[in-house]
Amino acid sequence: MNPLLEQFLSEARDGLQDIGEKLMQLENAPADAGLMNELFRLVHTLKGNSGLFDFPEMTRVLHAGEDLMDAVRNGQAAYSRKLADRLLDAMDFIGMLCDEIEADGVTGAAHASVSVHLVKGLRQLMARDEVAGIAERHLAAGITDDTSAIPAAETAASLAASLAADLPLATIPEPARLEAYRRASAGEPLHWLLYTPSEQCFYQGDDPFFLARQTPELLWGGIEARTPWPPLADLDAYCCVLDIHLLSAAPRILLEEQYRYVADQMTLTPVSRFALVLPQGDANGGPVYDDFVSDARNLLAAGDLAGLARNAGTMLELSSPDLWIASALRWLRLVLETEPENRVVLDALVDSLSSLNAPDWTAVLAGWVEPRATHPADPPPGHDHRPLTAAPIESIHEDRPRVDESQVSGDDGVRSVLPILTTAEAEALAAILASQREILALTDTPTWLPGRLKAAAAVLSACLRVSGATDARPALERATATALAENTGAALLAWLDGQFSSSTSSDTRAKEEASTAPVAIAADPPQPWPQPEAESEVKFGRRAEDAIAGPKSLKVDQAKIDRLMNLIGEMVVAKNALPYLAGRAETVFGVRELSRDIKGHHAVINRIAEEMQDAIMQVRMMPVSFVFQRFPRLVRDISRKLGKEVNLVLEGEDTEADKNIIEALGDPLMHIVRNSLDHGIESPEIRRAAGKPAAGTLLLRAAQESDRVVIQIRDDGKGIDPETIKRKAYAKGLIDEATLERISDQEAVNLVFAAGFSTAEQVSDLSGRGVGMDVVRTAVEKVNGTVALTSERGRGTHLSLSVPLSMAVTNVMIVVSDGQLFGVPMDSVVETVRVPRAAIRTIKRSLATVLRGRIVPLKSINALLGLAAPPRSNADDELAVLVVRLGDESVGLLVDDFRETLDIILKPMTGVLSGIPAYAGSALMGDGSVLMVLNVREIL
Amino acid sequence: MAIEYKKNLAVFHDVVSVEEAEALLEWLQTKRTAKVDLTDCVHLHPANLQVLMAAKPAIQAWPTDAGLSAWLESALVAR
Amino acid sequence: MKRVLIVDDAATVRLYHREILEAAHFAVEEAMNGIEGLEKALQSPFDLYLVDINMPKLDGYGFLRELRGQDLPQAPAIMISTEAESNDEQRAYVAGANLYLVKPVKPDRLLTQVRLLLGDTHP
Repeated sequence: MNPLLEQFLSEARDGLQDIGEKLMQLENAPADAGLMNELFRLVHTLKGNSGLFDFPEMTRVLHAGEDLMDAVRNGQAAYSRKLADRLLDAMDFIGMLCDEIEADGVTGAAHASVSVHLVKGLRQLMARDEVAGIAERHLAAGITDDTSAIPAAETAASLAASLAADLPLATIPEPARLEAYRRASAGEPLHWLLYTPSEQCFYQGDDPFFLARQTPELLWGGIEARTPWPPLADLDAYCCVLDIHLLSAAPRILLEEQYRYVADQMTLTPVSRFALVLPQGDANGGPVYDDFVSDARNLLAAGDLAGLARNAGTMLELSSPDLWIASALRWLRLVLETEPENRVVLDALVDSLSSLNAPDWTAVLAGWVEPRATHPADPPPGHDHRPLTAAPIESIHEDRPRVDESQVSGDDGVRSVLPILTTAEAEALAAILASQREILALTDTPTWLPGRLKAAAAVLSACLRVSGATDARPALERATATALAENTGAALLAWLDGQFSSSTSSDTRAKEEASTAPVAIAADPPQPWPQPEAESEVKFGRRAEDAIAGPKSLKVDQAKIDRLMNLIGEMVVAKNALPYLAGRAETVFGVRELSRDIKGHHAVINRIAEEMQDAIMQVRMMPVSFVFQRFPRLVRDISRKLGKEVNLVLEGEDTEADKNIIEALGDPLMHIVRNSLDHGIESPEIRRAAGKPAAGTLLLRAAQESDRVVIQIRDDGKGIDPETIKRKAYAKGLIDEATLERISDQEAVNLVFAAGFSTAEQVSDLSGRGVGMDVVRTAVEKVNGTVALTSERGRGTHLSLSVPLSMAVTNVMIVVSDGQLFGVPMDSVVETVRVPRAAIRTIKRSLATVLRGRIVPLKSINALLGLAAPPRSNADDELAVLVVRLGDESVGLLVDDFRETLDIILKPMTGVLSGIPAYAGSALMGDGSVLMVLNVREIL
Repeated sequence: MAIEYKKNLAVFHDVVSVEEAEALLEWLQTKRTAKVDLTDCVHLHPANLQVLMAAKPAIQAWPTDAGLSAWLESALVAR
Repeated sequence: MKRVLIVDDAATVRLYHREILEAAHFAVEEAMNGIEGLEKALQSPFDLYLVDINMPKLDGYGFLRELRGQDLPQAPAIMISTEAESNDEQRAYVAGANLYLVKPVKPDRLLTQVRLLLGDTHP
């Protein structure tokens, strides 16, 4: 991608983010002129940038946004929630285009209609006169926002298209098809729409059926299962497997608008009205029709359509309505009524009555042209408007002044080449002179007038130079001095008129005509471009120093940081080999001094490696705002959808944590926030009735606590009812009756984290089926985090997520069992104790001991890992017990011995080993061996 | 409740939302001869519709809302 | 080498103009708003200024007024606007611009104007 486009996309993304934020802020302070101006400027900048490229849809939408914001800041349009909605929609669209540009380098032409729709929406919000003014301007600029759809031409081609698409038109009941035909023959377009909602759409709050029912100009719609239904026991009600198809008489553009959010799940096929002429019914029985057919042919030949209609009516009365023939007659009657002049179609229908086969319209209509005036099918609106493209820089040099070879005299004569103006230059010069004339004619006397006069004089001097009239310079200098002394542009203006009025227009034109006879520089020596070189070089030297203060931040590709991360990981491992080496130097080779030296160097390298590791961690740190920033918009959209009022308060957005941790927080936070909005915060009426403020408050607060980041999510909603939870948990078999009796309220509330806990009350179109909380817990635990939930009925719910600042380095304790080394993450280690064998009891075939007055169950790590060896005791017959935390409980692991603790870079298990949950991962040790790190939660 | 369950009959009222689908499915799983009365129904979330399509209970009455009725017939009347 | 200062809050527009000017061997510096532009100009004046109108802190008009009010060698300034502001040409001249161009300015056109304003038709 070229750097300019890259810059554009990056700036556009930042701009969109800012626009979103400003709009949110405006919601709370709708009269803030500063914000309004800022918003205008952001949209304005974005539009200006997009104008450098050929992205007509983007520029069009941004242009409308800019005009709207301009109207708002000038008080010509009012700020409203609707306005914010539409602007946000427009910005989402721009964001989507940016994604597309990034992926493909271009925007798809398919967006034209969406952009037109957005533009229309934005322009509607402007005051009438403002719109008129802008519309005029746009007309001048060749922009048309005309959305008035033109009906698609009904041609043999569109018939072929609808036949080729093999649409199940026969499934549409005849009355609907008759109606569709009637409207199509009146000029309305017909479209077959197939909408295939995604399987997950219910979880996204979609109601595809509702969307389909709202289809404009709906004639008929049907719903089908995508696949045969499974047995009822296996049915997932929330996995959408429905296909929706329908027939509409709305123009394509309106249909695209209706389905714009699911455009990828929808296909449109134009339908010829003739494709609908499908007589259906029992082909046998009924009166004899031969007479009718021959009569009908005669009547048609005689042009007696009324007679034919009468006959058809009589026949219909005689026939059972379920017969094929009756159906064909109804079609005949319709065509007689709607387009009696259409002889080809009438003939074909009469023929089909005799053959008892539906007319073959492809053959009938071959070469037939629609009698009505035809329109081009759905012209892409506004496509003639193409902003100037950013031309490749390489092409700039094309428009060079032509150098007349004859004027170049020898090697040293190059510099005497005389200035000749190209046509473009002559025009530009005229424009510049006209501007200076206007400047000098200004009669105001601001404080900066001398500067303005000097600048104009400098320009005039340049003009003299390029037109080769440097002999006039003394006069210009005199005029400048006079102008400055009089503090008015009059003297310069007079000079300008004297010097150029006769020359500019006529003279330069004369020069163009006689471009082979260039004007010579008469007086001044033929110096290269007059600025003294020495001075400018000195200046430049100084400037180079000034420019050293470069940008203070760098954008670095994530892959580069990851590489650094891996390298430091290897470094830490390599460094760990040194003590081992020192040991060998002493024990194997007996050189104690070398061993000491190695240990000394190890200490130094160790310190540097630790600092380096820390520095790299710092680079990976990201502020929490990265995940927080999406919530204002999300909360706003959802709460409005639910008809609730919610104040979102964000705190501690600057708190930083490792990029992976921050990213892992995104989904759980989203789920929690949705739950709060959905089930926590009540509707304004209920809140008022409960004596609470109508608007609920949702607080998201991040803070660092030692080496962890704690994120709290607090709402003042209705809270969780422990009784309900208990009953549900019991009903789901998650707890037994005994537990039901003695469980505390807090414990009950925590049951929402249990896998499989799903209550009907938790279902909504927003947060799905209450699948939330166990997923949240799993996601947080994946990054070594914890979740705590407290709730007070009627007062609100409070969730607290605690995650490590970084997950790159794990501190593990090394234990030995059955001759093997294992790592246990220090996070879960409570203490290490040696317990005399005598102090170990057997309770119901389980081992346990008493530590500080509490019973701690004991498990042998060998047994847990399937190793046959019994735990070994030391010389005093004590067993090594590693006490680990498991949720709120402690469990003692019987191991053979403890070793040191170690910082390791934990590598997740890969390949076939990744399926073994007993291990959290592995790490390379200093001596090259591999340490398996246990996943304590899994093995217990 | 938008769905009222009476012995073997489920009566749909007003707008039947997505939340109802799970209970409806559970109910239909236990009733072999279930019947459905849609008279007062004005809209139902397609999750419910899916359940009806898969379970094929007898439709005792179609919605009075003609538009909805046409849609539902396309989905629920065996062709 | 002639020095040009681009004063514009849009990084994309700055880059666009920078590429055009650098390809024609101008020394280009950038400022993100009027204040920054003024600071740079005061440090060492430029041979030409390319000025956007709508900018935070100090807009293009303000920048030009301040610039023209300084005791500096006064170099030509081009005000670059968008069509939404096209009635503001006179306002630009009052503030001290020497030329008023409408975005997006085609590369060759921009170069022609810049060269002429610097009294130079040759690269």
